[in-house]
Amino acid sequence: MEQERKMKAGIECINAGKVFVTPEGEHEVVRNLSFATKENEFLVLFGPGQCGKTTIINMIAGFEDVTSGRILADGKKVEKPEPSRGVVFQNIALFPWMTTMGNVEYGLKIRGVKKEQRRAEAQKYIDLVGLSGFENSFPVQLSGGMKQRVGIARAYCNEPEVMLMDEPFGALDAQTRYLMQEELQRIWSAEKRTVIFVTNNIEEALYLADRIIVLTNCPATIKKEYVIDLPRPRNLVSEEFLALRREITGILDSSQED
Amino acid sequence: MKEESKENLVCGLCAITSVFAFLLVWYLGCTFTALGKLLPDPITVLIGMWGYIVGTVGKCSLLMHALHSLQRVLIGFLIGSALGISLGLLMGRYRLARAIFNPIFRVIRPIPPIAWIPISIIWFGLGETPKIFLIALAAFANTTLNAMTGAESVDKTVINAAKMLGANEFQIFTTVVIPSAVPSIFAGLQVGISCAWASVVAAEMVKASNGLGWIIQAGMDNNNMTQIISGIIMIGLGGFILTYIMRTIEGVACRWNRSGR
Ligand SMILES: Nc1ncnc2c1ncn2[C@@H]1O[C@H](COP(=O)(O)OP(=O)(O)O)[C@@H](O)[C@H]1O
Ligand SMILES: [Mg+2]
Repeated sequence: MEQERKMKAGIECINAGKVFVTPEGEHEVVRNLSFATKENEFLVLFGPGQCGKTTIINMIAGFEDVTSGRILADGKKVEKPEPSRGVVFQNIALFPWMTTMGNVEYGLKIRGVKKEQRRAEAQKYIDLVGLSGFENSFPVQLSGGMKQRVGIARAYCNEPEVMLMDEPFGALDAQTRYLMQEELQRIWSAEKRTVIFVTNNIEEALYLADRIIVLTNCPATIKKEYVIDLPRPRNLVSEEFLALRREITGILDSSQED
Repeated sequence: MKEESKENLVCGLCAITSVFAFLLVWYLGCTFTALGKLLPDPITVLIGMWGYIVGTVGKCSLLMHALHSLQRVLIGFLIGSALGISLGLLMGRYRLARAIFNPIFRVIRPIPPIAWIPISIIWFGLGETPKIFLIALAAFANTTLNAMTGAESVDKTVINAAKMLGANEFQIFTTVVIPSAVPSIFAGLQVGISCAWASVVAAEMVKASNGLGWIIQAGMDNNNMTQIISGIIMIGLGGFILTYIMRTIEGVACRWNRSGR
């Protein structure tokens, strides 16, 4: 019973696959992908660039159809995007004509939540991501790291059951990236959610993950799975951390050149 | 900041100098060359214009004529650009709308407003309606394409973001497609207002009892060069002011957009 409930409350991929039909021919990007999230789990999909990670997120979010297999959310087939699956995008994709507040409250606004109530709610998440004082700034006025904080607050404010994060810190410089990882860890601890987090950075994966699924190069399939039960916040130079890092980097090196 | 205000000062001085230089060349040309037979000199024109402003040309003062023209332009422009923008946005977002309207639109667009004058008179008579029709047509033809391009080129992930936050198609159209097309729409409005202003003159030159087009036409009938040039100057100034106002509105509406001036 317990097992079943957990399976139902999350995302389940069953032999999911994706083949793009392009003018140059068929292009298989995802093959035979099967995994299921556990409740409030921080699941990291770790794979090399261009291996099909964004495609996987797009399929789970409902932006793209699977071409084989199935993807279930709460036990139901994913057919279109739903507010229960929040997405933080690789290219951030804020509404550039809206202020920070406008972006964060958007989901509540289109659902018809009263102004006072949604402002209060949005403010809570703006504070949570550390953007107090920037409520009325437009995205062009914010730095890359701040923009992605807005992206995270926007997704969180909609109270999704599952958060899908597609290389959210990929475009940031190393310094900001470390900072954002710590912040995300803090935010996630404050507001536990099931998270599927995509990255090609092993340190980021190990710092954040409860579980890491290592993907192969295109077409993406599951190469190996690691449960990471190091205590949080993690020490990036501890013996265990470095050993895991060596191991996972090793299995990737053996499957591809770069 | 200081650097910028210095630059503005220099630009302002250059503008004033160039206008005076133009007037000076005009004056010297009229006084010392055969140009004087074709054209009154600028001082005569300015004095004449002043007379038209405080006095009357035809039925009312020069400024009232300008306001008559402006009124026609604003009505026609509002109707034409509202239709153009709506159609453009729909064509940009919905393939069906584009399939239906694009072929017709592509053929109508290159027809210059003047070519519509006879038809508009046959259809609408000689009152205000044909003039407003012509202006609306000019505004329509110049705003549709930009609105379409704007609606078409909305970032797909931004639309996905709205979808995952729960927006339905209507909400996506009104809260995502329209605002992100605004800079592009303004590019069209900018051209649209100039063309609308240019068309009012054409419309009034055919048949009207007031307006800047009428001033030019009547000036030609009476062989009154000062009146013609006064009309031309007012048209130039009016167009300049209208585009200036339009650009100011654009600056406010697109302040979120770095590329929008
Ligand atoms: N809509 C599409 N049509 C055709 N090919 C695509 C499409 N989207 C992605 N691809 C291809 O799929 C591969 C994986 O892309 P993506 O999922 O973005 O990888 P990642 O996010 O891991 O970098 C790339 O080779 C890309 O060219
Ligand atoms: Mg990607």
